Amino acid sequence: MKQAGSKNIFSYQYRLKRLRRDSNKWALLTLIILFLIALPVISIGVKLFSGPGETWGHIVDNLLFDYIGNSFFLIFACGAIVLLLGVSAAWLVARFEFPLREQMEWLLILPLAIPGYIVAYAYAGVFDYGGTFQLILESLGLEFIRIDIMNRWGLAFVLGISLFPYVYVSSRAFFLNQANSLMEASEMLGVGQLKTFFRLMLPMARPAIVAGLILVLMEVLNDYGAAKYYGVNTFTTGIFRSWFSLEEPETAVYLSALLIVIVFSLILLEKFQRRHVRFNSSRNNNDRIFRKKVSKRKQLVIFLIVLFPVLLGFLIPVAQLIYWATLTYGKVFDFSFLALSLQSFGIAFLTAFVTVIFALTLIFFSKWSRLSFVRNVSKLGVLGYAIPGAVIAIGIMIPTISIDKWLIGVIDYLFDFNVGLILTGTLVALIYAYVVRFLAVAYNPIESTALKVSNAIPDSSKMLGVGNLKTFFKVEFPLIRTGIASAFILVFIDVLKELPLTLILKPFHVSTLAVKAYEYASDEMVMEAAIPSLFIIITVMLPVIILNRQLIK
Amino acid sequence: MHMLEIQSLTKSFDKGKSFALKNVSFHLNEGDVCALVGESGSGKTTLVRLIAGLETPDEGVIKLNGEEVSSVRNFVSPEKRKVGLVFQEYALFPHMTLFKNVLYGISKQKNKKQRAQEVLDLVGLGEMKDRYPHQLSGGQQQRVALARALAPNPSLLILDEPFSNLDAMLRMQLRNEIFEIVKTTGVTAIFVTHDTQDALAVADEILILQGGELIQKDEAANLYTKPNSIYVASLFGNTIQLSQDLQSAFECPLNPACSHAIRNENFAINEECEHVTHARVIKRTFLGNDTQLLLKLDSGQQLAVLTKDRNVADRIKIGFNSKDVLEFNH
Amino acid sequence: MRKLLFAITLVVLSACKNEKNNDQAQENKEQVVNVYTHRHYASDQLLFKRFEEETGIKVNVINANADELIQKMNIEGAQSPADVLITVDAGRLTRAKDQDLLQAVESDILNNTIASHLKDPDNYWFGLTKRARVIVYAKDRVDSTALSTYEDLATENWKGKVLIRSSENIYNQSLLASLIVNNGEEGAREWSKNMVSNMARSPKGNDRDQVKAVVAGEGDLAIVNTYYIGNMLNSDSPEEVKAAKAVGLFFPNQEGRGAHINVSGAGVARYAPNKDNAVKFIEFLISEEAQEVLTNSNFEYPVNEAVEPSDLLKGWGDFKEDTLELSKLGEFNKKAVLIFDETGWK
Repeated sequence: MKQAGSKNIFSYQYRLKRLRRDSNKWALLTLIILFLIALPVISIGVKLFSGPGETWGHIVDNLLFDYIGNSFFLIFACGAIVLLLGVSAAWLVARFEFPLREQMEWLLILPLAIPGYIVAYAYAGVFDYGGTFQLILESLGLEFIRIDIMNRWGLAFVLGISLFPYVYVSSRAFFLNQANSLMEASEMLGVGQLKTFFRLMLPMARPAIVAGLILVLMEVLNDYGAAKYYGVNTFTTGIFRSWFSLEEPETAVYLSALLIVIVFSLILLEKFQRRHVRFNSSRNNNDRIFRKKVSKRKQLVIFLIVLFPVLLGFLIPVAQLIYWATLTYGKVFDFSFLALSLQSFGIAFLTAFVTVIFALTLIFFSKWSRLSFVRNVSKLGVLGYAIPGAVIAIGIMIPTISIDKWLIGVIDYLFDFNVGLILTGTLVALIYAYVVRFLAVAYNPIESTALKVSNAIPDSSKMLGVGNLKTFFKVEFPLIRTGIASAFILVFIDVLKELPLTLILKPFHVSTLAVKAYEYASDEMVMEAAIPSLFIIITVMLPVIILNRQLIK
Repeated sequence: MHMLEIQSLTKSFDKGKSFALKNVSFHLNEGDVCALVGESGSGKTTLVRLIAGLETPDEGVIKLNGEEVSSVRNFVSPEKRKVGLVFQEYALFPHMTLFKNVLYGISKQKNKKQRAQEVLDLVGLGEMKDRYPHQLSGGQQQRVALARALAPNPSLLILDEPFSNLDAMLRMQLRNEIFEIVKTTGVTAIFVTHDTQDALAVADEILILQGGELIQKDEAANLYTKPNSIYVASLFGNTIQLSQDLQSAFECPLNPACSHAIRNENFAINEECEHVTHARVIKRTFLGNDTQLLLKLDSGQQLAVLTKDRNVADRIKIGFNSKDVLEFNH
Repeated sequence: MRKLLFAITLVVLSACKNEKNNDQAQENKEQVVNVYTHRHYASDQLLFKRFEEETGIKVNVINANADELIQKMNIEGAQSPADVLITVDAGRLTRAKDQDLLQAVESDILNNTIASHLKDPDNYWFGLTKRARVIVYAKDRVDSTALSTYEDLATENWKGKVLIRSSENIYNQSLLASLIVNNGEEGAREWSKNMVSNMARSPKGNDRDQVKAVVAGEGDLAIVNTYYIGNMLNSDSPEEVKAAKAVGLFFPNQEGRGAHINVSGAGVARYAPNKDNAVKFIEFLISEEAQEVLTNSNFEYPVNEAVEPSDLLKGWGDFKEDTLELSKLGEFNKKAVLIFDETGWK
């Protein structure tokens, strides 16, 4: 009897019966949302079958090597820079007491407030002929020295100093949470700080550091504005070139597919390096962090080391931008600029709202689905963050154009009435693309706060006769409010900074601060780009400071 | 018609490689208070979640009041089952007062405020209704959770490990209180516990789960006197298996087709019994109430027994009576 | 039930349709012209306003990169609201024409005012302003008598001394296209190859950066647009003014075909809903009044010969311009891009 029971209940027919029983609307909705999120990548995949454009061979012969070489150069060079700056700063603020330490802790995050392309414009100005750097050298009588930054080394430097906070944040969290007892144990054994750092902490912190590093590398591959300005050919600039200059979307699709392969290899590499590591996230909050007190002179040295990346990544570029802004504000700052800023904020606000809703639906619908595979695949929805903006834009153009053409055809046939383009070149397509790209940004903070709420809480609500949706609004929503708020702010920030995707998909009557800054810079009016850039920086800075605490947790 | 009827319920979390619950069948009548006993991993939480509708079964049927709520074809969502569940960690809504917590499940009823007050009074917390959960002690939270589950008049109430988070003194007190409350309301109830003392104290009937299988369901007294396996016997007190060697040592030949055991407390030292042998005490361990003696029987086997007598001589006579021998059919 | 739903949908949609027609009727009452333009200069805003005042036709402007505008018109197809497309080079206009996005215009004013090489032979587009691509040189290091032609820059004389921006740039693409027409594909490839080996540094930055690099001594001369020199001389940044003043400006190929020029131009969109207004608009832009504004505030050469170039431009002297039909630039644009890639011009 027992054997008979267990023998056939996992047969195909039985599974099908249970599948029918367990399929509810939530499972279906989850799959629909996932499909929408995956659509750009799917459409690129499908488009691959229709073959590359006629210049594909030309690109392979003349440019592909350059794209691959530069992209990998950037991966390694930026990787080295962010590791050096990020890990050392994190270690120092986590382990040592020195003057202004608390201020430095959040100042080190601020470079994230400046988009990479804006840092690139600012440094081009700093090292330019007649730029700040040269004026300083001239006053020292050293005018023969000239640093040329507009090359791939310069690009790696610029992206590195603007992205190192990702590594700083993730490794500092590790050093603060995990390091205390380990450090003490090590010191009890009489091992010095430096030796402990290299022998013990660095290998232990590797997963946390690499997690931050992967984020940096994705941003590096996503960059368009800085690479374009510095004249470095990368995959992303190549996608723009083949799409717009060569007018071959098919070729752009092939480049996009290659770029996706690179990105996913990086992700797999990260998973691989973490395969043996179990993340021990338990942290005793009562654990006080004991920072080492060192001599005044050493404190000064530490302070200077920590100040260095802040100086490079934030203070210098902002100073340069402010200087330019004083020269050009009369020309740039007018009513239409204010209108543009409001538009930019409006788009970011709307997108943040929509993205948070998508993240919530993905998290909760999959939870309410009774199918375990739906719950498992729902996590794939966050992979959009790994895909460069230009690639997502192309992946969205392809289906929206065909849907629109189909709609126009159908409606014209049925009603002899021209509806025009409903999706393509409208805010709908743009916000859709933002959602695909930034879903993870909203998903992660919401999920991590939701995980802190015991399952028993919503379960008890259900046992009291209350359905899923009402349970969400009455019980879960109030308990995960903070996660939702950080999700909202983080998406808002990212949308405000986003460039490549916006450039391709923005409707023509709207613009954003980022696009405006890019347009000025590409029209050889880089000084005029300072005002929109500063607007972005100021808007992004406020929540970054506020979120500082959440970011670290 | 049974209040709760379960037929060959089976659940696996890894597609059949192992079973959290295997072929479990039983039923409860209206007003029954039963205890579900098992070690962790025995499947009792899975069984409870299946009844509540928080999991779906791979095979089998669950009927509540004659209606099929879970089967391979049908599934009634938890909010429609009228099952009350008190979670191990209480799961009170932290952002609501006690009153709001209790009101939560009855917001559509007419006399909801009156009812909420009533159940809070029942658990003795009517005065504290405007407090928040974090302002209460563990025992108080437990009682609020009970009141909240009782408020909508569930047809079945399940308490999942209700006493496990409490210290020993409080546990005894609360056990009695909650038992009284449950009895007062007359609700059909299932207590889930890993502690046989809890089970004996509160339940009319006890279900024993082991490795996902229901191995015995009976009244408390019967489980003690007529356990159907040595596992069940050992749950209710120290038991020694009577191997062939021991049987011959005590000159007590038993049916070789069955296995046998005897409770530690049924051994008699230096008294007249049906089956006796002589032994030497080789070690004494003082355990407070009892003293554990490690004996070496004259026939050579070693045997550990408990005794109240601390001053047993080194050389003793030990034995038992046939009526105390437990016989199992496998 | 289904039928009912369908009927309702039908009614709603036809209601929408009527509304749409009403909208259009209203639009017809208010005269408009929808302009897709790559130019976003303060002077243009001023001109649009004047046009509105003089004609009562409202100008709706959509600003974007020419490539994006062409993509947009392609996608919109027959639904496109665009009346006029304005770009900053002839190549893009030719591309728009080839993609059937423009239409021919018969206007005596346009035909008589604009020299034939500055417009499309079939009247699909018309030049509005001219820019010359010239050589600037470090006054202290280069004797202007040593300069002659674009071709000369590719000779051994200038090894490691030439500064020029990347091939991504449309002005360079058009320059190479003109060389393809004048010297043949092989000649152009040879030129591009030799230019790459003469470069003082790998191409980077924009035209202004090339001027600054000459002054900084990275190279001795650079190829840039006249328009940018004008802008630098009037820059907010004192350093830019200083740099622009430190270089000399040389019009190449004066003994031969003349200096390479390009135009910023306009065409009427294929599906223009307001074609008449579009023609009026372009006619206005080449009127003497408008051309004065363009040359004086934006340092471009007028296409209307009745208008004198601004004083600044006159200061650089008269020059002979290459009268190659600019439509050829578009024709050979893609070829130029491919040659750049093949010869390693970044």
